[in-house]
Order: sequence, then C-alpha cells, then structure tokens
Amino acid sequence: MIKRQCEEALDKLFEFIDGELSDEELLRIGAHLKDCPPCEAEHRINEKIRLLVSQAHGDKAPHQLRERVLSTLQMARDEYK
Amino acid sequence: MTTHADGFDFETDALSFMDQLYAAALRMTRNGADAEDLVQETYAKAFAGQDKFTPGTNLKAWLYRIQTNAFINTYRKKQREPKRTDADNVEDWQLAAAAEHQSSGLASAEQLALDSIGDDDVRNALAELSDDFRMAVFLSDVEGFAYKEIAEIMDTPVGTVMSRLHRGRRMLREKLREYAAERGIYDHRAGS
Repeated sequence: MIKRQCEEALDKLFEFIDGELSDEELLRIGAHLKDCPPCEAEHRINEKIRLLVSQAHGDKAPHQLRERVLSTLQMARDEYK
Repeated sequence: MTTHADGFDFETDALSFMDQLYAAALRMTRNGADAEDLVQETYAKAFAGQDKFTPGTNLKAWLYRIQTNAFINTYRKKQREPKRTDADNVEDWQLAAAAEHQSSGLASAEQLALDSIGDDDVRNALAELSDDFRMAVFLSDVEGFAYKEIAEIMDTPVGTVMSRLHRGRRMLREKLREYAAERGIYDHRAGS
C-alpha cells in the first residue's frame, strides 16, 4: 500500500538526496523516511547508486593533453598582448 | 593575463579543473581521443573569451558550459545524434515514481547486489544512457552541481534537468540490476 506521504517522499527522493528541498520539506521527508522502511530502502538504494557514480569517474587528464592546453594558453597570451 | 587583487587568476584557476573537465569529456564523447580534443577546444574558447567571465561567479560551471556547448556543436554532429525517443517529459517520471515501492525482500536483494557493482559496471551503464541523461547524471552525481547550475550549463529549464535526472537515474539503476542479474547476484523475483 502506498500512502500519500510515501508518494511525496518517493516523488521528491532525488531532490532530497541532491539537497534541493526547502528546510521544511527536508524535515518532513526526512521524518517520513525514518518511519517508513520501504521508503528508507528506496532512499538507501538511490543514495548508494549516487555514491557509486561519483566514485567511478576519477579520470586524470593525460600528460599530452596538459601540454597541448598549455601551448594553447601560450598562443592565447600572445594574441592577448 | 588577468590577475586580480583578490588572488583570482583566471588561467591558474581554469587549469585546475582540467582533470574534471577531462573526466566529463570522456563521459560525453565516450572515447579518449575525442575527449582530449574536446577539452583542448574548451580551453581554447575559455582563454579567448576570458573577458566574458565575471570574477566571483562560478568558474567551474562557466567552463562546463563552454565544454557542453562545444560537445553539442562539434561532437554530437559528428556522432550523428541518436534520435530523441526519450523526449524530455516531466509528467511520466512523476507517474512512474509512485510505483516504486518494493517489498523489503526485493529492496535488500538490490542493496546486496549493488555491493557487487564495480567502477567499470557504473561506467558502462552510464555510457548506455543517451547524451542528455548521461550528462545530467554526471553533472549532478560526480560534480555536485545544483539543478539551477546544471540548467545553465545545459541551457535548459530546471524542470527539464529534473526530468533528465529522474529518468537517467532510473535507467542507470535498471542497467545495474541487469548486470547483477547476469551474474546471478540479483534475482528480481526475490522476496516476492
């Protein structure tokens, strides 16, 4: 059974996770999540996925790219003068 | 060269975002050579247009916007844009959201399955999303941009950003479930 509070919490779950809610909404939905295990499970799953995504992309710019960009910068400086 | 009294130096500050721009470019173009060209183009445009940047505003967002525009104008054309079957639509994720209250057995099976997901899985899953969804998810989850900033970077209303995020994340989750299921780690019938 989906209650109205569940509906609101599930609807705004991403905004909750992303810190996009007003303080009032944040408190209300936070309180509901504490009381409602199925909604809290959804919350945890989505938060976990967000974490996985944020951790999977630590690529470093290759050395040759850095050199190319620096030489572009030098050309831009020369034009700037 | 533009150095300001408050210690802001356009070039130094802009260069400090190169790793992040490259990581984003990799996600956009899905290939290393194009990603390097894209970052190179981004910096060339940024250096040439640095007078248009207002010190004190968000330099990272400004650079991302240049890069996103460059991607759309150059690479998407080259790659032949996939047709936008997933047209932005605010209503349907709202309708779909209410259905997502699963049994506790299913939820814990999914949580367990997520523990087996590695970086490569996440990258592959993200790569399968369409450009707009992938970029919205990347800008939010990896870069932590606010919806309003993503809207500016992608030049689209905030409602569209929310729709892309919702749908992109739901698809991503579906892909991760599939990967886990393929390895026999996640069974969607569990707990039902």
